[in-house]
Amino acid sequence: MFPISVYTQYIDMHSDIVISQSDSRPMYLQIMEQIRQRVAVGEWAPGQEIPSIRQLAVALRVSVITVKRAYLELEREGVILTQQGKGSIVAHDPGLGQRLYDRDLKQHLEKVAQLGALLGLAPEELALRLQEATDKFWAERIVKENV
Amino acid sequence: MNDPAVSFQGVANRYPHFNLDNINLDLPIGSIMGFIGANGAGKSTTIRILMGLVHQDRGSVRVLGHAMPEQQVAAKQDIGFVSEDMRLYGAATLGWHIEFLRQIFPRWDQPYAETLLRRFELKSEQKIKGLSHGQRVKAALLLALARRPRLLVLDEPTTGLDPVARHEVLGELMAVLADEERTILFSSHNTLDVEQISDQITFIDRGRIIDSNDKEMFLDRWRRLRLQLPPNAALPQLPGIVDIGGSGRLPVLTTNRFDPAMVSACNDMGATVQAVDTMTLEEIFVANVHSRRTQTAYEMERQEVTV
Amino acid sequence: MNYSMVKRLILKDWYLQRWPILFSLLGGALALAIVAKGGQAGFTLGIILLVTVLVTIGAMLAMNLTVLERKEQTLAFVMSLPVSYREYTAAKILGVLLIFLVPWLAFMAGSIALIWFAPEIRGLIPFIVIMGTEILANTCMIAAVGLISESQGWTITVLMIGNLALNAIGYAVAHIPSIGNGMFRPHLHWSPTATGLLATEVAIICLILAGTFFFQSRKNDFL
Repeated sequence: MFPISVYTQYIDMHSDIVISQSDSRPMYLQIMEQIRQRVAVGEWAPGQEIPSIRQLAVALRVSVITVKRAYLELEREGVILTQQGKGSIVAHDPGLGQRLYDRDLKQHLEKVAQLGALLGLAPEELALRLQEATDKFWAERIVKENV
Repeated sequence: MNDPAVSFQGVANRYPHFNLDNINLDLPIGSIMGFIGANGAGKSTTIRILMGLVHQDRGSVRVLGHAMPEQQVAAKQDIGFVSEDMRLYGAATLGWHIEFLRQIFPRWDQPYAETLLRRFELKSEQKIKGLSHGQRVKAALLLALARRPRLLVLDEPTTGLDPVARHEVLGELMAVLADEERTILFSSHNTLDVEQISDQITFIDRGRIIDSNDKEMFLDRWRRLRLQLPPNAALPQLPGIVDIGGSGRLPVLTTNRFDPAMVSACNDMGATVQAVDTMTLEEIFVANVHSRRTQTAYEMERQEVTV
Repeated sequence: MNYSMVKRLILKDWYLQRWPILFSLLGGALALAIVAKGGQAGFTLGIILLVTVLVTIGAMLAMNLTVLERKEQTLAFVMSLPVSYREYTAAKILGVLLIFLVPWLAFMAGSIALIWFAPEIRGLIPFIVIMGTEILANTCMIAAVGLISESQGWTITVLMIGNLALNAIGYAVAHIPSIGNGMFRPHLHWSPTATGLLATEVAIICLILAGTFFFQSRKNDFL
């Protein structure tokens, strides 16, 4: 049991998503992250109905177009599904995207090991090359999203 | 159904000291548009033309399918209008105003009016002249909202409100949009509010619309690039640069056509990208206005030279 | 023309002006009481008070319904309602006329009744009717100028000119033989001249009303 302060019992927990205005990331990214997290911890179960775009926009006091964008991106990632005229639900297999990426990574790493051997690189040299590539990627990614 | 809620085409109006020119605007049903402009830019005039309160010299205006100002009576049945320079009758009570409007608008929602009275912490027995500024604004909004209008037109709805009242008002405005048949147009100095709840944003300056687009487009396309150039290097040529600041070795470029590929392009051209800053709507607006005004001044200068 | 909307706007103005109207009625009653007390002084004082109250409430109504609405910025509120500019104009100019008729009819009826029961001066009645209608026309004029000019300055100027004209006209009419000679006599003599003057005044009122609609319809900025 978590230690509950004297005050918690008077505060109604509302299950709305909470957006921080001081967070400098674009609003739609914040919304996406919050939804992904809910799905990840299981609070929003696969196949469960989630608020419609308009409902969420009203609840968050955020423009419809922003929520729409977040939902579109999430749909592309396979986390949610929007059915025409019927609202949105959590995808039946929201982790599918993750597992596919994981399989991809495994295959690519095997290939990297192969190429390294062909080039005659020692494991440490190969590891260095991987580090350089990762650094470059993150440098450009940070610039792109300005986190 | 596919007709926009509001449509301006080629609207112009001439005043002795001010010209409103070439106003083109389309506001889809179910969306919310924020109107940003400096004082005297033409926001209020445009809104008055929309309401049929001013007859445009040129161009056509259609609101909810009605031509303005000829069919303004029909249009105003479904419009709720609140402007900053509008006042209610000081000697009468809020309750009297509610009753007055209830008889005029068949779709008046009295339970909703009472909910809003509670939410906005207003009393119907109070005389308008006894209300503070913030309370008057909320009262005027209540009277506009409770008639369940298909279009809400607001000129500076949150100006002068304390943060809590602003939060409530924004909440009520968004609640209007829960019905996708309802539309909102509002002008505001408060760029944070506009940035938060608008679907579309229009910038107006010196009587002309200088930009109108989806909010996400604005926020995506505008960036500040902080570069570091090697000595004696030229600035990289990039699309959409509207402003160049900073110093010779550390220029700061403002672009309105950002693409992530620009970063590698800069690096290829020898400029190190130190940071790519997003811009707030306010910064975008100011940069936009500044570049237009400089461009106009430059063009006017060129005209003088050629003439 | 949406008559129910026009009616609602007139009733709205009636409600907002109810206290001035009530006080004017009380003032008028007081004036008539002073006249009824009799005597030369009472008569003169009472008449002055009566005319003053009537002219004042007329000017007040004319100004409150027109330029004041613009000054107090409630015009935008009214025009945001489903009403056309023509209906607004109608509600205003007719509003002034109809609302003013309440104290006006009361004052006219009251003074005529009073004189009728003081038979020595029944000959005054034509003069009272003509001058009363003059005040009515004056009030309409102030309202028209208020609506059309949208300027407090102009309206007050017309108000002052109107008052001076009222005095001048009063003097002139009192010196028309067929009206003036019989004023303080018991015999009520309604001359053709009196009819002519009255008809002219009514025509002027109609002209003012028509003129108001005409000039208002030519405006491009309704706010």
